Amino acid sequence: MRLRSPFGLLSALALALAVAFFVLPIVAIFADVSPARLVAALGEESAREALWLSLRTTAIAMAIVLVLGTPAAYLLGRRRFRGRAILITAIELPLVVPPAVAGIGLLAAFGPHGILGGAVHGAGAELVFETAGVVVALTFVSAPFYLRQAITAFGALDRRPLEAARTLGAGPFRAFATVALPTAREGLASGLALAWGRALGEFGATLLFAGSLPGVTQTAPLAIFAEFSRPGGFVAALALSAVLISVAAALLLATKLLGGVGSVGTEGAR
Amino acid sequence: MRRPPLARFATAALIVAMATASFMALCGSGGGSTLTVLAASSLTGPLSEYARESGGAGARTSFAGSDQLAAQIRQGAPADVLASADTEYPRRLHREGLVGKPHVFARNLLVVIVPQDGNVDSLSGLAKPGVKIAIGDRSVPVGEYTRVVLSRLPAGERRGILANVRSEEPEVSSVVAKVTDGAADAGFVYATDARVAAGEVRAIRLPGHLQPEVAYAAAVVRDSPHPAAARRYLAGLLSGAGAKALRRAGFLAP
Amino acid sequence: MSGGRLELEASLPLRDFTLEVSLAVAPGERLALMGRSGAGKTSILRIAAGLMGPRSGRVSLGRETWLDTGAGIDLPPERRRCGLLFQEYALFAAMSAWRNVAYALRGRRGDQRRRAVGLLERFGIGHLGEAMPADLSGGERQRVALARALAAEPRALLLDEPLAALDPATREGAGRELDALLAAMEIPVVIVTHSAAEASRLADRTAVIEQGRLTATG
Repeated sequence: MRLRSPFGLLSALALALAVAFFVLPIVAIFADVSPARLVAALGEESAREALWLSLRTTAIAMAIVLVLGTPAAYLLGRRRFRGRAILITAIELPLVVPPAVAGIGLLAAFGPHGILGGAVHGAGAELVFETAGVVVALTFVSAPFYLRQAITAFGALDRRPLEAARTLGAGPFRAFATVALPTAREGLASGLALAWGRALGEFGATLLFAGSLPGVTQTAPLAIFAEFSRPGGFVAALALSAVLISVAAALLLATKLLGGVGSVGTEGAR
Repeated sequence: MRRPPLARFATAALIVAMATASFMALCGSGGGSTLTVLAASSLTGPLSEYARESGGAGARTSFAGSDQLAAQIRQGAPADVLASADTEYPRRLHREGLVGKPHVFARNLLVVIVPQDGNVDSLSGLAKPGVKIAIGDRSVPVGEYTRVVLSRLPAGERRGILANVRSEEPEVSSVVAKVTDGAADAGFVYATDARVAAGEVRAIRLPGHLQPEVAYAAAVVRDSPHPAAARRYLAGLLSGAGAKALRRAGFLAP
Repeated sequence: MSGGRLELEASLPLRDFTLEVSLAVAPGERLALMGRSGAGKTSILRIAAGLMGPRSGRVSLGRETWLDTGAGIDLPPERRRCGLLFQEYALFAAMSAWRNVAYALRGRRGDQRRRAVGLLERFGIGHLGEAMPADLSGGERQRVALARALAAEPRALLLDEPLAALDPATREGAGRELDALLAAMEIPVVIVTHSAAEASRLADRTAVIEQGRLTATG
């Protein structure tokens, strides 16, 4: 695409506007917080606790999403069967449900009076007001982001290399692991980055399902919100927000780079 | 031809086992002997203090909007005590058999806050065109109280103020944030919230005839795993270390 | 693991007609399958390799039954050891040439690499072992694909338009090399081609599919 054509110029302008729009609120937060205050925020125990909790719980949630979601997405992406469209819509539901409603839903399903409440309790697990509940809430709201990307990535795979692998003696699992996964890597990494970002920012479902208990369920977003109720809290909230944004950005970038995003796929471009 | 797939499967199984184990480790055992208290956000300061002192039995307290707390209790969340920012939610839950008899443990005053350098000085100033006002949503107690105040105003002033309402927040702390942010020129919050944000806002007191009855009620959750400790916590709220912490934060006696 | 005669009988409904074929290829024999596009030639190869199933049919190699719809036998492709050279080669884009070739090999990585490179050398491209498929020319890719298929020591070899994706200049030389290679093989070989010249050069017999049936083997 030639940038000097009218269409090229308009596209570049649209891109500049979009970038400015998305970046400005983030920059504004950093502009409002002095570097000294930022470092001080990291020094506060509640802030560190909240950040560490966020990192731990989102990491575990991502592990669950990857392990369970990848094979599921492979099936959904490559096989046509009756009810496939409905199934895909079903797993996309968390995307359109307000987080607070998702929290209520999780309570209604896994809470003590919930449909599976008895089973959860019987297994010796406590979810509500426990860290495990945070992981459940995070998995619920962020999984669809990964699944959608993964389904698309797997669906776009050329079946012929997979078939070639089979004729060369690979069973379905080996063909999946050695041919499908490496080829779909970029799409999967993008999906993971999206899901992780969503999980890091998750607030409403966590608050309702797991509560806001410092050190146990008060993740960084919940801690930021709680700061507003404390004296001098607004500044502290800003500082923690800036830290969270930095951490999230680093994590997302690392995920994408590791997944090879940006290195492949631009062959047709100039 | 069988080795690699088996090795991979074993690795996958190992990862799943490790993940499950670490997940279960996060489950805890329902807080053990620690009390779980669900409290309204506006009680964050004093109740956190109360929990730290022995009288609060090292309670772990989750602060959220009173409507969210009620929803959690209705869904059977394993809590011991509910401390709401009103008397309505506890009464309703009591009628539904989910909590014990509610006790009023504190009172508060509703005030109007404006930015330190704001140019609204009185209640009538709120009705002037162009003034941006933030209030609480109907589902949160502070929103209900605000509407009581408005209903006691002369019709003209009420209409003017309502026309200036720019947002109905789901939490009183959001109302405070809107005013400290400069997104609103005024907001209806509790006197205790105004104290917390003292450096950045000024409070305008409401005349006596407009002031609603702002009462905070607490109750022991029916299915509490620690009923005796819960009752002690409640007693402390009414006349012990909890009551002292509340007084220090500016809450009025019940 | 001895081989044998490749025998295939299949009935497969296609868009305009039903494919009804029956063929047999002896070890060391080369059969060319010709016909218009859409005639079902590739489908026959896919059925033989186990990538697709006919409505009814049988496929066997020597005494081993690979498919028998009547008896409920359907061996998956990885158990058949039937080599298939795809029309566009279907190389693994994320793997280097030698890793492609070594895909079917077992053993330690060092040995695999040695054997893979050795195989590539027989095709004259041993020096391209570390190259990625995207960096190879059409002719080079064809040779990697062949080496990969042969590394698995297949008991039958199916080639889908092996020279079609090559430019005319390369095709001549590649055709001669392929001819020499196939001549030395002792397994049944089936070559799908649309070119009569290719068929007569590469194969011992030719069968034509028309309207779903095989005619004229010669």
